[in-house]
Amino acid sequence: MLILGIETSCDETAAAVVRADAPKGGRVVSEAILSQLDEHRPYGGVVPEIAARSHLDHIDALVAQAMEQAGIGFADLDALAVTAGPGLIGGVIVGVMTAKAIAAVHRKPLVAVNHLEGHALTPRLSDDVPFPYLLLLVSGGHCQILAVEDVGRYRRLGTTIDDAAGEAFDKVAKMLGLGYPGGPALQKAAERGDPRRFDLPRPMKGRPGCDFSFSGLKTSVRQTVEKMPPGPLSEQDKADLAAGFQAALVDSVRDRVKKAIILFKELYPHGTALVTAGGVAANVPLRASLKALAAQADLDFVAPPLKWCTDNAAMIAWAGAEHLRRGAVSSLDFKPRPRWPLDPDAPKSTGAGAVKA
Amino acid sequence: MRILAFDTAGNGCSACVWQDGTVLAQARLGMERGQAEALVPLLSSLLEQAGLDWPQLDRLAVTVGPGSFTGVRVGLATARALALATGLPVSGVTTLDLFATAARASLPAPQGVLLALIDARRDDLYCQAFDAATLSPLTGPDSLRPEEIRPLLTRLGQPAAACGDARPLVETLLEDGTLGGWLGETLADPVVLAGIASTRPREDGVPSPLYIRPPDAALPANGGQLRP
Repeated sequence: MLILGIETSCDETAAAVVRADAPKGGRVVSEAILSQLDEHRPYGGVVPEIAARSHLDHIDALVAQAMEQAGIGFADLDALAVTAGPGLIGGVIVGVMTAKAIAAVHRKPLVAVNHLEGHALTPRLSDDVPFPYLLLLVSGGHCQILAVEDVGRYRRLGTTIDDAAGEAFDKVAKMLGLGYPGGPALQKAAERGDPRRFDLPRPMKGRPGCDFSFSGLKTSVRQTVEKMPPGPLSEQDKADLAAGFQAALVDSVRDRVKKAIILFKELYPHGTALVTAGGVAANVPLRASLKALAAQADLDFVAPPLKWCTDNAAMIAWAGAEHLRRGAVSSLDFKPRPRWPLDPDAPKSTGAGAVKA
Repeated sequence: MRILAFDTAGNGCSACVWQDGTVLAQARLGMERGQAEALVPLLSSLLEQAGLDWPQLDRLAVTVGPGSFTGVRVGLATARALALATGLPVSGVTTLDLFATAARASLPAPQGVLLALIDARRDDLYCQAFDAATLSPLTGPDSLRPEEIRPLLTRLGQPAAACGDARPLVETLLEDGTLGGWLGETLADPVVLAGIASTRPREDGVPSPLYIRPPDAALPANGGQLRP
């Protein structure tokens, strides 16, 4: 089964062709991706209208490139899959229209994929992880802990009540003038810093439940800087603040995931793995901390390759394949959705990913 | 020549299948939102009504703006993907050209200035002045505030009529006679769009959007640094 996947929900424009085997397993045949990092860098964050314009400028060429690399024509496809939300709606619409148009001309089934589900199912593409597993999704737009029970069945154990983790990295890096994207820049600065110099809070640590909060930590960094003697920050000041922030964030996430693991093991005694996805999963100290947690809990730690942790189209094609195997197809009048919770039973989220229209 | 023409740049979702001046199928739906849901099924059903399949078309035509940013992208993303999927050429037509062409057709003896005005959904309008007799542009496409229309017309020095979808924003100019009248409908006409496209030379590339207004984003002072 050959599937073309399209992803345009944030700041990566991407197309990929995935071959899915029956009843399980698959491989990525081709991938074309264009990052908008340079366009958003001056703003220190993703600007929705700039993102949407850029998606329109590039998506058709990227689709053509993925098809050419795969050495196939549209007639050879078995289906298309496209991110239909959640995300920045202007960009989502560009990808959705692109997919609908190709599907209409070539009369191919189209699957409207939830972007979060793309992330959630990636470990099955990369590592054949069996259901159920525990997923920590940490990116610039999302921060959630989910029990992945089956295709289309997710139980949200925790979510952020304000910023996403990656958003906090970006904002703090911006305050300190470390560069964009903030995650890698801040991690690099933190390597030379002393995490103990500044006393920063560990949001939510010790609280019941598995929710996250990063807004207060970000404010704390701001207040700490405001209290420092006048004048520009030294490189050491910046490094120490970066290290302090990163340690606090990792500590907070660790506490939340630890709670989630206990809950997960209660609910799903036969669950075998802790899986991470999202761009922040590339953070080295966070990864080390999660790995240790998984080992303590006797769970496998699975982190898909970085290019499939960050936004990509292969994961969308793959999620489409998983739905197609179960016979799920969307009609061409489906509506792109800025909000689309994976777990409709979970209380409405107020934080990242919730209100980005 | 067989053309599939469609517009989602403004307050509607409209399309037609056109063959050498004859309309084989058409639909004009007024809608402020929902174009992303409606457009592709509409195109498929119009083709079916016309008894045609995609390979039997010769050309696609689409509006490139100015209009709602999202609406412009719904149309263009669809057109560009259809071009990729079918190999058909695409003609991009501005909404200003489209309204001016439709309005001129309603004039028995066109003369003076024809001002195309599109609601920019802020306090401003997208605007372009055309010679009513020839439809040659007298100004470039631009955005301006309603109070800037009078000075523009003074500069052009001829009586003017207006067209487009922004009538409510310039009602006072119609009342005081600055604008001699409002011509044509406020919903874009896909048949006129197809007609314009049929006169254009075949384009090799795909059309680009005409937004006029830059993205609404302010650069943070000092890159957002607390201590620059």
